[in-house]
Amino acid sequence: MNENRFASAFLVPGAVWMLLLFVAPLVFILALSFGYTDDLGEAIYSTRLDNYERLVDPAYVPVLLRSVGFALAAVVICLLIGYPVAYYIAIFGGRWKNVLIALVVLPFFVNYLIRTYAWIALLGDDGMVNGVLDTSVRFLNTPYAVIGGLVYGFLAFMILPIYAALDRMDPSLIEAGKDLYGGPWQTFRHVTLPHTMQGVLAGSLLVFLPAVGDFVAASLLGGPEEVMVGNLIQQQFQASDNWPFGAALTVATMAFLLIFMLFYLRSAAREAREATA
Amino acid sequence: MKGALTTTWDRRFDRRELLRGGAGLAVAAGLAGCGVGNIDRGSKAETEKPIKKRVDGDLVYFNYSQYIDPELVKKFEKRHGVTVRESYFDSMPAMMAKLRAGIKYDVVFPSAEYVQRMRSGFLLRRIDRDQIKTIDTVYSYFHDPWYDPGSEHSTPYGMYATGLGYRADQVTGMTGSWRDLGNADSGDRSFLLDDYQEAIGMANLVNGFPLNEVDTDKLDESGDYLVDLKPKLRGISTDTITNMVSGNAWIQHLWNGDIVNIRYQVDNPDDFKFQKCREGLPIGNDNFCIPVNAEHPGTALLFIEFMLEPEHAAQNVEWIGYPMPYDGAATEAFNGLVKGDPEIGITVDDLENGQQFENLTGEGRLAWDEVWTEFRVS
Amino acid sequence: MSTVESRPTAPARPPAGADAEGAPLKPPKAFDRPRFLKFFMGVFFLFLFVPIALVVLFSFNSSRSLQDFQGFSTRWYQTFFETESLRDSLVASLQIALVTMVIATILGTMLAYGLVRARTRVSSSLNVLMLLPLVTPEIVAGASALLLFTQVKLDLSLTTIILAHITFSISYVTVVVRARLVALSREVEEASMDLGATRWQTFRLVTLPALWPAVLAAGLLVFALSFDDFVLSFFTTGESPQPLPVRIWAEIRFGVRPTINAIGTFMLVISVVSIGLALLLPRLFGKRESGLKVLLGREGA
Repeated sequence: MNENRFASAFLVPGAVWMLLLFVAPLVFILALSFGYTDDLGEAIYSTRLDNYERLVDPAYVPVLLRSVGFALAAVVICLLIGYPVAYYIAIFGGRWKNVLIALVVLPFFVNYLIRTYAWIALLGDDGMVNGVLDTSVRFLNTPYAVIGGLVYGFLAFMILPIYAALDRMDPSLIEAGKDLYGGPWQTFRHVTLPHTMQGVLAGSLLVFLPAVGDFVAASLLGGPEEVMVGNLIQQQFQASDNWPFGAALTVATMAFLLIFMLFYLRSAAREAREATA
Repeated sequence: MKGALTTTWDRRFDRRELLRGGAGLAVAAGLAGCGVGNIDRGSKAETEKPIKKRVDGDLVYFNYSQYIDPELVKKFEKRHGVTVRESYFDSMPAMMAKLRAGIKYDVVFPSAEYVQRMRSGFLLRRIDRDQIKTIDTVYSYFHDPWYDPGSEHSTPYGMYATGLGYRADQVTGMTGSWRDLGNADSGDRSFLLDDYQEAIGMANLVNGFPLNEVDTDKLDESGDYLVDLKPKLRGISTDTITNMVSGNAWIQHLWNGDIVNIRYQVDNPDDFKFQKCREGLPIGNDNFCIPVNAEHPGTALLFIEFMLEPEHAAQNVEWIGYPMPYDGAATEAFNGLVKGDPEIGITVDDLENGQQFENLTGEGRLAWDEVWTEFRVS
Repeated sequence: MSTVESRPTAPARPPAGADAEGAPLKPPKAFDRPRFLKFFMGVFFLFLFVPIALVVLFSFNSSRSLQDFQGFSTRWYQTFFETESLRDSLVASLQIALVTMVIATILGTMLAYGLVRARTRVSSSLNVLMLLPLVTPEIVAGASALLLFTQVKLDLSLTTIILAHITFSISYVTVVVRARLVALSREVEEASMDLGATRWQTFRLVTLPALWPAVLAAGLLVFALSFDDFVLSFFTTGESPQPLPVRIWAEIRFGVRPTINAIGTFMLVISVVSIGLALLLPRLFGKRESGLKVLLGREGA
C-alpha cells in the first residue's frame, strides 16, 4: 500500500465524526441566524437578515477589540511565564521531568470555578492579600483581574505544547548551537526557538482562541466595562433566550477568528511540507 | 511555485466557505417556518385530563439549585418510597431549552409569566386543587392570579421582591429610592443585577414608567438612565451573595431572599439591610407545575401536597430564605427570619401594589433586548 | 528565516544523553543562569498553588468560615459522600472524562497522523475543519450541540455529554500530537520498512512509541478538560445525574461553602491518582521497546 493511501485511511474516522457532530450543528446555527423569535419566545427558522442588520453597528466594535486585546494580553503573559517553565522542565528537569510537569498541570484539575472563587477570596477588598499587606488595593472588577483570570485558566495550554516540542528536541543540538553561535541568547534565537516554533504557535492559539470567547472571567472578575464577545453570546443564548441573534453573533465572531486561524494553518502546512520534503 | 500553492490553497478554502454558507442558507430556507425543538405540546384535552394522586414512579424534579430543603426531599422519598431525581437550571430560558429538547420532567418551577406562556402553549397539566389537602392556606391573591385563571395549572412556590441590599454600617444617605444605586457614599462599591429584565424594569420605574414599558422612546430614556449609571457602578453581576458577603459590594441590586441567605453567612447580619424602593416594587413568584409529558404526574401531585403541609412549608422557608405564600406556619416562619427587618418580607399589600413582570410581545422583547445589549457594550 | 538552514546537523552522534564513550552526560546549561530560572520556577509554583492551598485547607475547616481556620475536621467530606446526588455526579463526571479521553485521543492521534503524512485533495479543508472547534467559543459549542440533539430528537443523557466532549477534545489532541509528529525524523520509519516491516507494523512499533509522550500529554489534557468542563455539559446534560462542574456552578452562586471546597479537593486527589497512573504506564511500555529506544537514541523518553 502506498504511503498516501495508508495515511489517508487514518483521516476517515475523525473526519466523519467531525462532520456529523461538529459541522452539522454549526450549519444549524448558521441557518438559525436567519431566523427570529415568535411571541412565545420560540426560535423559528426563516430567511431574514434582521439579525445581521443589527450587528452592523459600530457599538459592537469595542467589544470585539476588547476581547481580542484581553486574549492577546493573556497569550503574551502565558508565553512569558510558560516558555521559561517549559524550558526549565524539559532541559533541566532530568529525572524529575514528569513529576514537574505533573505539578504544573495539577492545579488545572481543580475545578475552574472553585479556583476563580479562591482568587476572589484572596484578592477581595477585605481578602487575604489586602489583609496581609495591610492595604486596600482594588484588584477585582478590573481589566487586570480579567486578564489574570484568563492567564490562570489557560496557562497549561501554553506550557504543554511548548514542553512537548522542547522535549523531543535533541539536547546536543543546543550544545552544537553554542559552539556555532557563542552566547546563550544567540543559541536560543537561532536554535531553540525555531525548533519549538510549532509548539509556541500551538500554545498561543490554544490560549488565544478560547480566551476570546470566554465569558466566565469577565463576568466574575470584571467591572461593568469588561464585556467580552463571549458575554454577549451567553446573554443571547441564556438570559435573553434570543437564539437567532446569538447565532448571528456567533457566526460573525467565528468568521473574525478564522482569520487568525488561517495564519496558523499556513505555517503548519508549510512546516509539514518542509518536514516531509 | 509557492505562489501557485498558496493560490490553490486559497481557492480551495474559499470554495469550502461558500459550500458551508450555501448549506446554511439551504437549511434555513428548507426549515423556514419550523420552530427549533420538539417540545411536547399537548392538546387541550391532554392538559385537562385529571391526575390520579398516587405513587406512579420516581419524581423527576427540575428547579433552581439551592431552592428546596434537602431534608424535605429525603423525607418525601422515605414517606412514599420513591427516589427524587434532581437536576437544575439557572434561568427560565435554560429551563425552556431543556423542555424543548424533549426531556420528560415531572415537576418544574416556572415563574409567573412563564406559567402564562406555557399554559397558552398547552404545556402544563391541570392540577386539581381539591386533591391538595392544605390548598386553602394559599394566599387568596393566588387563587385566581393574572397568569393562571383559577390557578388550575400551577401552585405558587416561593415569592420574591427586588430591591437594594446595602451595608448599613458602611453606607449613609440611603433615601429609599432606586437612584440610591448610584449613591456617592457607597465607596464605589455598587453592583447592578446582571439581569436584563430586572435592570430595564428598574430603569422604567425610576423614570415613572410602568415596569413592563415597551414604547421605544420611553425605553430609550430608560436605556440612557442605565448608561449614565454605569460609571458609578463597580460591577454588573448575578453573584449577589458572594459580592456582599466578601465585602466587595456595599450596595447590591438583589432579591429579598438573597439578603436572608447573606445574613446566614456573615458575622454581622444586622448590618445587612434590604430597601424596598418607592418608585416601584418588582414582585414575582415561582410555581409548581406539571408538564404535559410528565411520566409520573401522580407522584408530582403527591409532592406538591407534601410541600404545602404547614410544617414542611415552614421548614422550607427557613432553608431557602424566601417567603412562601401560605397562611400559618410558613408565613410565621419567614416573619421569624426577618424579625428585625420586616421590610424584607412580602405583605399582601406588596402583592397588590407591586408590579410583576409580564410576557412581552415579540417586538417588545426585541426592544428590551436591544436596549440591554446597547447598554452592555456602551 | 527558513528553519531548514539554521538547524545545525549534529555529526554522527552517539545516543543523546551520552558522551562519546557512552557515559551519561549532565544536562547542558544553555543558559548560564539556572539560578534565575530556579527562582522563577519557585515564584511560579507559589502563585500556581496558593489558591489551591486555600481550597484544600478550608475544606478541612471545622467551621463554615472561609476566612478563619478554626480547627481540623472532615465533616464536609462526610456531607459530600453522604449526599447521594453528589456521589452520582462524581461517578458521572469520571465516566464521561474517561470515555472522552480514550476516544478523543484515538481519533485525534489518527487525525494528526493523517494530516501530516497524507497529501490529499481534502487535506487543507480537513485542517480547517479540525481547528474549527478551537475557534468556537464554548457557549456556542454547547448551544449548537443542544440544537443538534434537539433537532435530531436524541434524548439528552450521559451519552450526549460524552458525544459533545469528544467532538471538542479531538482538536486539542491533534494539535499537541502534530506538534511532535511534524519534527519526527522519517529516517527511522523508512529504515523500519527497509527491514521488511509493513506500514502498519511501522506505525505501531516505531511511530506510535515515539509519539507516546505527546499522546499521553494530550490524553491528560482531554481528561482534565472533560472532568472540569461545565459549559458544554450544562447544555447537553439530561435530567440526572448532572456532572460535578454543573452542580458546582449551580451551587457556588449561593456562596462558596466548605462542601464545595471538599469536592474540589477530592477532584484534585482523583487527578493526582490518574496522573500517577499515567506516569507508570510508559514505564511498562518502555520496557518492551528498549531496543527501539536505543535505535532512536532516546533514553527515558
